[in-house]
Amino acid sequence: MRALLALTVFGGSVAQATLAPALGVGGVTPDLPLIVVVLLALRRGAEFGCVAGFGAGLLQDAAGGGLIGVQALTKAVIGFAVGAAGARLSVTQPLVQVPGLVLLTIAEGVVRFALLQIFRFPAAFGDVMLYVVLPQALYNGFLGAALVTALACLQSLRARES
Amino acid sequence: MKIRKFALLVSVVAVCLLLLTLQSRGYGASARDLLALVTTPVQSGVARAHRAAFAVWDTYFDWKNARAENRHLRDENQRLRVEALRVGETEDENRRLRRLLALQARLPLTTLSGEIIGRDWGGWIRSLTVNRGRGDRVPRLTAVISPDGLIGRIVDVRLGASIVQVLTDPASTVSAHLVRTRTPGIVEGDARGTLRFKYMARDAAGIEIGDVLVTSGQGELFPRGIPIGRVQAIDDRGPALFHYAALEPAVDFARIDEVLLVTGETRRDLAAYFATGG
Repeated sequence: MRALLALTVFGGSVAQATLAPALGVGGVTPDLPLIVVVLLALRRGAEFGCVAGFGAGLLQDAAGGGLIGVQALTKAVIGFAVGAAGARLSVTQPLVQVPGLVLLTIAEGVVRFALLQIFRFPAAFGDVMLYVVLPQALYNGFLGAALVTALACLQSLRARES
Repeated sequence: MKIRKFALLVSVVAVCLLLLTLQSRGYGASARDLLALVTTPVQSGVARAHRAAFAVWDTYFDWKNARAENRHLRDENQRLRVEALRVGETEDENRRLRRLLALQARLPLTTLSGEIIGRDWGGWIRSLTVNRGRGDRVPRLTAVISPDGLIGRIVDVRLGASIVQVLTDPASTVSAHLVRTRTPGIVEGDARGTLRFKYMARDAAGIEIGDVLVTSGQGELFPRGIPIGRVQAIDDRGPALFHYAALEPAVDFARIDEVLLVTGETRRDLAAYFATGG
């Protein structure tokens, strides 16, 4: 199970740079590793979320060609935060899933932007939020909700069979 | 437990910040290289799988499009074929009517055009029904011709139609002669639907396969010089009084659709108005 989880994080992160453009809608691509990290953190807790976020972000950084450590840090923080708060959230409700993922993506974007400012990232905050982070946040929200729903359906099917 | 959690978070954050710091000071290359050792092969594999999956998808779509296009083209092909047949049929009819009208215009006789509306091809009798009858003042025994030659004569006139006895009818006889040798004789139909030329033995000299026969005009039923057929085979009966020659009719009676009825005077030589080739 752990191997499968590791493979999911590893494969998902590396595949992001290759596969995400194929899932693009109007130039907006989802952040698949973030969705995976959030889903895993909700189920497995803060520690797992933190490590998964770190691993996924690190690989995403390496595969994408950015500064190594930026996404590792942001995703580790997000994974930790979601894992810590997960016990208090009823994440099976789409009304929670969609805004939750939207907010988390925005939070990740803000943290990433803040971090990159240290390294003199040239783009304006407004532009990054309006054209990159917000559209991706919406996409992540709906894609994540769809994934959660699909997983819930699979689980209920398995439960019925057993 | 909580301390362990936060210790983990702090460690992770510290590692990240260390990595970033190292990169900002120009030491990031080795870390990148190390990670690339792991990520590059996986990326290559994923990209290959991704391309393969898309190739399969594209192939499927191409196949689907090709199938739809194939169906569309097949339908269009069928429609165009039907249309081409219709156009061909119309052109054919047009050509036949033009030939008939041209003949009607150049003949020095009173003629009436008619359309074949029925055929009796049983063998006992061989006749055509033409859409001209008593209302058109068609007399009995009127000669019926086409641009290719003689068809027969009207044997029955009804209110709106007439019955044409075709040359191949077993009861049909027409006086004729060979164009080349002027050998006289009688063209008869028979039960097999063929034509034969009956002539006297003493006149047989010189008759050859391919010779053209035309109406002789004797009896004034048919105008003189209308093509009847071509000698196909000669049946020399030795000392018998009459010899016979099998004929290939000048007109394809089974396929004729439009005819001319010679309703006026018949004492004319029409040889010049038909292309006999003899």
